[in-house]
Order: sequence, then C-alpha cells, then structure tokens
Amino acid sequence: MFSYYLKIAWISIKRHWGLSLLMITAIGLGIGTAMTTVTVNYLMSANPIPHKSQQLYYVQLDSWDVNDPYDDGQNPPDQLTYTDATNLMKAKKAYRQNVQAQAYGVIEPEEQGALPFMVSARANSADFFAMFDVPFIYGGAWSNDADVNKEQVIVLSREINERVFGGENSVGKAIRLDGNIFKVVGVIDHWQPKPRFYDITTGAFNESEEIFVPFSLIAEEKIRRSGNTNCWKPSSDGFAAFLASECIWTQYWVELRNEQEKQDYMSFLNAYVEEQKRFGRFQRPLDNRLSDVMQWLENQEVVADDAKMMMAMSFMFLAVCLLNTIGLLLAKFLGKAPEIGLRQALGASKATLFSQYIIESACIGLAGGALGLLLAQLGLVAIENLYGEYMKGLASLDANMMILAIALSLLSSVIAGIYPTWRACNIQPAQQLKSQ
Amino acid sequence: MLTMNNINKTFQTGDIQTHALRDFNLTVNEGDFISVTGPSGSGKTTFLNIAGLLETFTSGQFLLDGKDIGNLNDNGRSRVRNEKIGFIFQGFNLIPDLNLFDNVDVPLRYRGFNAKERRQRIEANLERVGLASRMKHLPSQLSGGQQQRVAIARALATDPRFLLADEPTGNLDTEMAQGVMSLLKEINGQGTTIIMVTHDADLAQQASRTIQIKDGRVSELEIVAQKAIA
Repeated sequence: MFSYYLKIAWISIKRHWGLSLLMITAIGLGIGTAMTTVTVNYLMSANPIPHKSQQLYYVQLDSWDVNDPYDDGQNPPDQLTYTDATNLMKAKKAYRQNVQAQAYGVIEPEEQGALPFMVSARANSADFFAMFDVPFIYGGAWSNDADVNKEQVIVLSREINERVFGGENSVGKAIRLDGNIFKVVGVIDHWQPKPRFYDITTGAFNESEEIFVPFSLIAEEKIRRSGNTNCWKPSSDGFAAFLASECIWTQYWVELRNEQEKQDYMSFLNAYVEEQKRFGRFQRPLDNRLSDVMQWLENQEVVADDAKMMMAMSFMFLAVCLLNTIGLLLAKFLGKAPEIGLRQALGASKATLFSQYIIESACIGLAGGALGLLLAQLGLVAIENLYGEYMKGLASLDANMMILAIALSLLSSVIAGIYPTWRACNIQPAQQLKSQ
Repeated sequence: MLTMNNINKTFQTGDIQTHALRDFNLTVNEGDFISVTGPSGSGKTTFLNIAGLLETFTSGQFLLDGKDIGNLNDNGRSRVRNEKIGFIFQGFNLIPDLNLFDNVDVPLRYRGFNAKERRQRIEANLERVGLASRMKHLPSQLSGGQQQRVAIARALATDPRFLLADEPTGNLDTEMAQGVMSLLKEINGQGTTIIMVTHDADLAQQASRTIQIKDGRVSELEIVAQKAIA
C-alpha cells in the first residue's frame, strides 16, 4: 500500500500544485532558517580533536590581583605569565607539554626580486605538533633539545612552502625571518581545526598560523610576539622586565593520558603554586584548573550567546511556518472531504486514511526539506560573506546536517499533518456522499 | 441475508431530537432487487447509510449474513463494506484526479489484491459496462451515463453480495437512466442483491420488490410488489 499512498500523494500534490507549493515553501523557509543556525552552532561546538580531546588539558593558575580578582573571581586568568609557563616547562611533569604564544614576522625570500612579506606565526614547544596531531608533508617537529638550546628552526605551512620553495621538499633549507636565518625542519599539510581550540584567546575561528618556531626564541627576540596581553601589576621598562612581570600572555597545554596522570599533575600544580606563594606571589586562594578541550571551549563560550539566540529564534520561525502549514493542510484535506467519504465507503478504514494523508504530509515535508537544504546552504554562504574570515570554513552542511535537515522536515511535516489528517479521517462519509 | 430488527436512528440537534428511523424492520433475501421509495425526509437515505455501514444506528439489531454488525469497530465495518457491499451514488462520486482504471482500482487496493488480480478485475468490469477502451480517460471526459457505468464497474469490482444504489439515475436523462437500469437488472440477474432508493415510480416498478418508507418506518402494507424480473 505504501507505493499506492505515494502515488496518490503525488497526484494530489500535482493537482493542487499552488497549495502544495505554498506548503513546501513554508516548510522550506522554516527548515532553511533553522538548519542555517543549527549548522553554525553545530560546527562552532564541534569537537576539533575527538580522539584525544580528553587527554589534552589547558592549564590555568590564579596569579591575579588579590584585591581585584580576574573575571570577578569566576575563573582564573585564561593565560599564564611567562615565568610560570617556563617554570612548568622546565619541570616537565606531564607526558607532553606545550607553551605557546601568537607571533608574527617578515619572511625575506632568497629569490631575486621577490618582496618580503609578513606571516602569522606561532611560537610553541616541540610537543605542540605531537599533542595536536599536526600533519606533516615533509620532515617533522623540532626536538626538545632545539627548544632548550634555542635553535633557529622553523616549520612551514604548505602555503608558505609553496610560496617560498615552490612546494618542493624544503627540509634542511634556510629561510630568512626578521633578518635571522632559520633552518626548515618540517612542512605541514593544510591544518585548520575548527574551532581553533589550541588558542582561543586570539580567536576561536581564525586561520592556523603560517609558520611555527620555538617559543624559547621569544626571549631571544628572534621572533616578535603578539596576541592578548593582560597585566594587573606594572612592570619595569625593558623586555626582560616584561618577561619577569605578572602579565599573562602565554597559553599552556599538557597531555595527560589517564586520570592518574591528571591527578598527579594537579598535585604538582598545587605544590608549585604553594611554593610560589612563599615567594610572595599567588596571593589569591588556590584555584588551579585543568580543562580538557571541550571544557575549555565551553568555558571560553566559543559558541556565542547570540548564535544560540539566533538558533532559538529560527526554531520559533520554523514553528510559525509549521502553523501556516497546518492551516494549509487543513484547507487541503477538508477540501477532499467528498473523496475521503467515498474512500471510506469503498473500504478504507480511518487508520488507512490516516496513513495515506500522513504520507502525503511527509512527501510535502520531504520536498520542503530539500528546498530547506538549498536555502540553508545559501544562508550559510550569506553568513560567510557577512562575517568573512571569522566564519570561513564553518559555512558548509556536512552529511550529519543533511540527514538532520531531512529528519527535521519529515518530523515537522508529520507533526503539522497530524491535526488536519485527524480532522479529515473523522469526516462522516454519509454526509459527504449525499452532498456530492 | 440482511435483517433489520427494530432499528431506530435518532439525530440530536441541540435540544431537538429527530427520529429518522423508528422501529424499522426489513429482511432482504439473496438475489432480491428492492426499490425503496418514499417522500423526501422519510428516512430512505438514512436506511441506505445504515445498510451500507456508513452510519451507526441508535438501537435495534442489524444482521448481515447472520452476523450482528452492531458491535463492529471501524476496521471491521470497513472490511465488511469492502468485501460485501458495493455503492452507487446519484452524483457518481468518481475521484476526478484519477482515470477510470485508477477509480475502479480504489476498492481493490483496500482489499489487498495483487497487481495482476487488480488489473484483471478492472479490465473485466470496465468491459462489462462497455468502457474498457476508455480506461485511461478522466471522469470529466465522460458523459453522465458513462460516469455512472464506471461507478457501477467500481462497485462490482470486488464482487459484492449487495449493491446499494442511492438515486442511481437521478442525474441522468431518461435514455441514460434506462440504460443504467438495464445494467442493474442484468447484474441482479447474475445473483447480486440490489437495494435501490429512487423517486422514479417507473424505475421502482422494474424492481422485483418495492417498499415504501414513511416517517422512518416500513409498513408491511406498503410492500407494493414482489415479482420476478422479466
């Protein structure tokens, strides 16, 4: 009977094409709007490194002003001081650890006539690449010794390698950055985690950096740091004084393989802060935190409140569209009262008729869902154009979202169809047959 | 085969009760061709609707093939309608969006016949009413008489025991009406029991038995004829 119901639904949709088109448009608009916002929220809140997100922890220590707590005392500072970050690095108490900061520099190509150009950079530890599963095309990460010995080594992005070395294997070659010669040790493939979880402080949806150099070179002023810097205590003049200050500007990640390692590391952090308290630092109550990737994204409210609000509003719009669809379906089905009465006389039970008209509703919903997918894609492109780089890469519907859109449109249309169908099935056949 | 004992049907509109049928008694035998006459509002259509299980009754007993159908649920009533009863209406009641083939197909679908069986029955019955060559036409492309023939083909497609006809010639001119009447007599001659409501005294007289309903009752005295169809 299912194929018969489909055939009848198709004939009915064709016959009342104007009304059907209105319903498909209403559902399509509702689904399109809802799916646009759901997709943005879904991609914003996606786990960027699902296989090990519960082994990577962001470290927070509360080194802030005792009289003026950071974030009104809700959370410890979102970055560490250089002093604390380097102390933790030296201790090497985690399975892997990475201190990092945003940086930038100017590359001067060797090629005759090629102009220098600015690049975004990340100053990080050797473990960065292994911790975050950064894919390499050529070479690999520098060694921990290179960090300690402040070697001028560099990892390039695929794009920079294309631009400077024409895409060939550049490992072992030299590149001039800010007037200093760096040795290329690796070239990474395209790598763009969304959200860019490893540094939320400079934008969760920014592009990954173009080059990577050892963090220890910042102190040597071989690379210029950038990113957010917050200070609660004035520091003396000079870069060395800045490094020794209470200003926070580094991010610190550790990889801990199990709960025991996590507990041990937390004990280590607590002991470290207690020790620092004896030197007169860390005057606030103990509030050290280890947040795994998803906790950190949640803590930093990567999914913005206005995105959530937009999603809620889009579902309200979908509800309005469905109310309209209910009205249109009611008009359509009650207009078929004589046919419904006749079908009952010819042997259709109420359950049979209910199935028939729900399937017709579902067909309309499916068509609306297809239109909704198209509109959602257009909506995402519009959002990408509106927000530019911030939303780049987020504006796409993956298979999960497509399945969700179809399921949502089917569910919506079936829900919208229940009342009109129920009304239609309760038509008294005798009255309809006589009134023909 | 069809027995109604003291059937009452009351409609309630606000505080007003209307008795459509009062202590209605009737027995219909296998092979009967009964015409039902009576003034407007006498209860003819209500009787036909109850006989066709399209309406429930307020009290009384209704036996069909010896089975009390008063307690059947919607599914049971639908099954009985589909398997035992065929309907012919004054307004033909063909589905305008479906061609003749698909119109006749409707009750067969609900019976659950396979595609081959359905096709055979559709073709045979459209052939029987002389419209096999037009099975892909829409109802709107046919005359009134032809539409009624399609309705008869549809009613016969499931091989019903009963044919209930409500003013089957009411929308037809005399010639077409006589053609439809001849077809009904032929069908009755092949064993199908027919109950036909009509205002037309001439057509009523062509049935094997004529009853008159007045004020919701059948009076045995009003059974005006019981004869063999020529």
